[in-house]
Amino acid sequence: MSRLEAKKPSFCKSEPLTSERVRATLCVLKGILTSSYGPSGRLKQLHNGLGGCVCTTSQSSALLANLSVTHPILKILTTSMQNHVSCFSDCGLFTAILCCNLIENDQRIGLMPTTVIKVNKHLLSLCTSYLQSEFCGCRILVDFSSTQTLLCLVRSIVTSKPACMLTRQEIDHISALILRAFLLTIPENTKDCLLLGKSIIVPLKGQRVTDSTVLPGILLEISEVQLMKILPIKKSDTFKVALFCASLSGDLSDTGEGTVVVSSGVSLENAVLDQLLNLGRQLVSDHIDLVICQKVVHPSLKQFLSMHRIIAIDRVGAALMEPLSKVTGTQPIGSLGSISPSSYGSVKDLCTEKFGFKHFLHLIPNEATICSLLLCNRNDTAWDELKLTCQTALHVLQLTIKEPSVLLGGGCTETHLAAYIRHKICNEPESILQDDGCTQTELQLLTEAFCSALESVAGSLEHDGGEILTDMKYGHFWSAQPESPSVVDWPDLLSRCGCGLYTSQEELHWSFLKSTRHPFVPQTCLPHEAVGSANNLTLDCFTAKLSGLQVAVETANLILDLSYIIEDKN
Amino acid sequence: MAAAGSAKVALRVAEVLETIVSCCVGPEGRQVLCTKPTGEVLISRDGGCLLEALHLEHPIARMMVACVSSHLRKTGDGAKTFIIFLCHLLRGLHAVTDKEQDSLISKNIQTHRRHWKNCCQWKFISQALLKFQTQVLDYIMGHYLSKHFLSIFSSSTKERTLCRSSLELLLEAYFCGRVGRNNQKFISQLMCDYFFKCMACESGCEEVFELVDDYFIELNVGVTGLPVSDSRIIAGLVLHRDFSVYCPADGDIRIVIVTETIQPPFSTSGSEFILNSEAQFRTSQFWIMERTKAIMKHLQSQNVKLLLSSVKQPDLVIYYAGLNGISVVECLSSEEVSLIQRVVGLSPFVLPYTSSRYETCNTALMNFCKPLILRSKRYVHLGLIGTCSFIPHCIVLCAPVQGLVEQHKSALHGAFKMLRQLFKDLDLNYMIQASDQNYASSPLTYKNSRESTPLPEIVNGSMQSPYQGTVVENKGKLATTQTYLKVYSNFVVPSVELETHIPRSIPKVTPTDTYQTDETLRYLSLARIVDDSEPFMESNSANSTTENTRIEISCENLQVTEIAGRGSMLAVREKSLEMCTSHGYCFSSIPAGCVLPVGGNFEFLLHYYLLNYAKKCHQSEETMVSVIIANALLGIPQILYKSKKGNYSFPQIYVRTLHAIQTHQPMVSSQTGLESVASKYQLLTSVLQCLTKILTIDLVINIKRQPQEVYDQDSEEEV
Repeated sequence: MSRLEAKKPSFCKSEPLTSERVRATLCVLKGILTSSYGPSGRLKQLHNGLGGCVCTTSQSSALLANLSVTHPILKILTTSMQNHVSCFSDCGLFTAILCCNLIENDQRIGLMPTTVIKVNKHLLSLCTSYLQSEFCGCRILVDFSSTQTLLCLVRSIVTSKPACMLTRQEIDHISALILRAFLLTIPENTKDCLLLGKSIIVPLKGQRVTDSTVLPGILLEISEVQLMKILPIKKSDTFKVALFCASLSGDLSDTGEGTVVVSSGVSLENAVLDQLLNLGRQLVSDHIDLVICQKVVHPSLKQFLSMHRIIAIDRVGAALMEPLSKVTGTQPIGSLGSISPSSYGSVKDLCTEKFGFKHFLHLIPNEATICSLLLCNRNDTAWDELKLTCQTALHVLQLTIKEPSVLLGGGCTETHLAAYIRHKICNEPESILQDDGCTQTELQLLTEAFCSALESVAGSLEHDGGEILTDMKYGHFWSAQPESPSVVDWPDLLSRCGCGLYTSQEELHWSFLKSTRHPFVPQTCLPHEAVGSANNLTLDCFTAKLSGLQVAVETANLILDLSYIIEDKN
Repeated sequence: MAAAGSAKVALRVAEVLETIVSCCVGPEGRQVLCTKPTGEVLISRDGGCLLEALHLEHPIARMMVACVSSHLRKTGDGAKTFIIFLCHLLRGLHAVTDKEQDSLISKNIQTHRRHWKNCCQWKFISQALLKFQTQVLDYIMGHYLSKHFLSIFSSSTKERTLCRSSLELLLEAYFCGRVGRNNQKFISQLMCDYFFKCMACESGCEEVFELVDDYFIELNVGVTGLPVSDSRIIAGLVLHRDFSVYCPADGDIRIVIVTETIQPPFSTSGSEFILNSEAQFRTSQFWIMERTKAIMKHLQSQNVKLLLSSVKQPDLVIYYAGLNGISVVECLSSEEVSLIQRVVGLSPFVLPYTSSRYETCNTALMNFCKPLILRSKRYVHLGLIGTCSFIPHCIVLCAPVQGLVEQHKSALHGAFKMLRQLFKDLDLNYMIQASDQNYASSPLTYKNSRESTPLPEIVNGSMQSPYQGTVVENKGKLATTQTYLKVYSNFVVPSVELETHIPRSIPKVTPTDTYQTDETLRYLSLARIVDDSEPFMESNSANSTTENTRIEISCENLQVTEIAGRGSMLAVREKSLEMCTSHGYCFSSIPAGCVLPVGGNFEFLLHYYLLNYAKKCHQSEETMVSVIIANALLGIPQILYKSKKGNYSFPQIYVRTLHAIQTHQPMVSSQTGLESVASKYQLLTSVLQCLTKILTIDLVINIKRQPQEVYDQDSEEEV
């Protein structure tokens, strides 16, 4: 019985953003996020004081999931970022840092929230329409006739996760594997809609990263004892497979809501076992080679099947059932009675394999979009990070298939976009001014806040105290070595811009990112030959970044719009 | 401990609430973040939600919140305005009484104002308020304000057609007060598109509102992590679960709904299944399998491609469904099932109890059935073909956080509630003094004057229907009646508005016609008849010389309305009916779809006419109450124009608007948008009722004891 207790009144607080405590906590969160950003980002070690494993990471998904924040405003911010990451897997830190920067900058200016939100919304729509337009100077259309762009995209993602602890060769190897795994999930002949398959990541910890591999079909892990029982597999063209989702354990199934009275001497278990053995006989007469069951198979049935040279694998679990039914090309069987011959599936080949210390039964399909990515890394934490990275990369590739374009990475998109917005607002401010009722000064202040928020996201890529610059022609991002002489010869000091598209040998002028400079027109319309020649670009997922930009601005607007917080402390 | 429950305390409480609420009012309003003890974070601008979240302790404050929530239940809108208006009223009252007391000291007391000094002064004021609410307000609404009303229907044709642009204006104004600033336009467009996509024909819009309001949760899908601008409308129905087995199918797709497991169980509840041998067990299992197989075969032969089940089906059923090319969706909620049933007019498939014969089962056709992936979660997407005036569509609501999705959901739901209210007529009834001959004789153009209502027909229709044995469902208000009706299924309630017409229909009722009705009704609740019938009998005997038997009948008729939950209303009206002979008694109504431009137009108009009325008034209390209410009304536009400067500041707007009303020019408004008159009117009456409630309390007694459970004595008697 529950005790009746009067509800305590809630705690109500006005203008939450102005409080010093909130600003301080926001600043701490921003510090955590910015320091983890990019390929040279610092790693964070998260460990729970009450136990559990230690997690070393620099990825937003792992970071935000493990951080526990208490203040409602931070909670809104982090859940918003987590939701973004679960939708797109990528660009989580970008979104979070941009959101923090925007809140901080707009708060510093101290204008009416109404004006801030209106202007931010307008600037956002300028950004999105520019990024989606044809003359956008930081977007590349993906050429599917070669794997170059896709490989660059995957490599950028793998490189940006330093907690995977990969060397350059390992990065190349893993990137190629991920791309191959993705290409194996694309069906060969498609009709009107493309239905991608699935890459199953199989863990193999404690091995060298270069031992990782991709195999078509499914790897079913089996114990050594099971392996001994499997007799040498006879060669044939196809192997017939029976895939069961019903339990073959011989337990009595649900008997309904009423009571079942069993006379003494009648053993239902016997009856069920008889039924199972009958099923076994049918399987033998149907020339089945492999029986796979989601649940448990009765030992007697297993014995019976192995006597007739049928391999029986049980307890594969619900998660593998869908890929298995795709590989074998059949629906799982839910009946213990007569099985119609049409519900048997088949695989092209069947073999046992050993990777590291694990034994696998390898099902090679005739034609299916399922593959297994056998992923190795030295230790648990690095493996977890690598797995997340692989999932991110595979997801990003899927998104890229849907929307075949990529954005320049390495901070270049951000600085280019900021330059474009500055120029646009400076030259044609009328579009906002007439319908929103804010003054020219307000608009300029807010634009500066927006652009510098974007630029400082790019600036967060540099962690070693180096100079961060932008060129005055393309608006790209450049970073220089820390100990630069006071009088500098920039072309010698800089080599390539952030995304790797341009070299410093062109006739360019640079300016510090933090300094004020005149708005200039960044060169729009990427030249086609420039993209083709450069083969080692840093690229970002278009869909994820675009949505991240929108989510960041929307979340910042939401937080800036808060006038009260009502905390229910019951 | 006791505390004085005066208006002063109430004013203090209301002022605190006002400061919180006023930051969210109007298009410039800001958001409030509410956290729940469970850790959920909610973003809201909805006044009702904020007041609930505050968990107020002060008894007066709790009473106010209770009043607000009961108002919200009725109309779904206006919580913030409620608090602001109430606060201004209390402030006005406070100022008046203060002045009175000052004048008492300084000047000689005027005799007719002496009673303000007494401790029961609040009671007089509250009575005056009640009188104002029941008599003056309706009169002013019906007589003066009505000529300013605009309609949401375009008036070019005889039949009323919904005007899209005015609906857009109405919705925009509504969402201005409900969702964040940067999403107002987008959400109102979305809602407008949704409504016009769902509506099959103009006449069915009430049905669409009703259906969407009832099944709103089933008709939208929330997706977090995407920008709000990704929200969209998709044709068909989206079920919040995945296929158990999916077989792609096209062409002639039929669906069937089941509410029980298709595989027959060994034993049903309450029965015993005796197993004597293993062979028997085997044969029964075999029989079960064969039966399942046969049923699925039968469904396939009926061209069924999709099986919707409200329960979990065993593996065997799923397997045979897959073999027969039937997709299966399991574990549908009862709301989803009833929505599908209503949309396509399909009843659940009843499993045949004999294995030999299967009749053709109930199936419905649909366009497509496919999986839908939103944010890597799979849903079932059904292209149902609606048979009623509702064409099924779903809203996908996207937002970065769940709290925002919830805000948009509740705002959309509230908008449908508001529209549902708007499309109903609202009755006004007021009394015109016999001395004001010109008012009484002036023709009420569109109002239902009581003589013109087609009364005899309704009476006949309602009383004959019991013999036909059909059940006519009373829409809306008679929810409670319906539950009774289920028990007495042969009994029928007429579908007319009982509370308006029955009192006047009594003399025409013949005893034989209603006899059966009485019989049934007497069972319903004997206890209530006694106390409720008394005012009625009095009025009846005053009105006409009816025989005893007729009075008896009228009692029973009253009972019908009592169940409908409008008993108290009726009693009030009866009293005024008595006065029919001496005064002109008017039934009028705010017709469906009446709107006014936003930006305080309603408040300005009412303010102006109330002041005018106050000048003509003879009684001092009435004058005072009218003036107080008139001034309090201005509080709302004051807040709306708070941040505006120059030409659009409040004093400027006020002067210009009043001038416009005086010179009969159209009023200027800086904002575009429309708002419903009926909801404004209802808000006003609710606030006045709340205020009278507050004023009648003179002492708050604090009891420090666990609340004891109160047994409802009436309910025991009814059982």
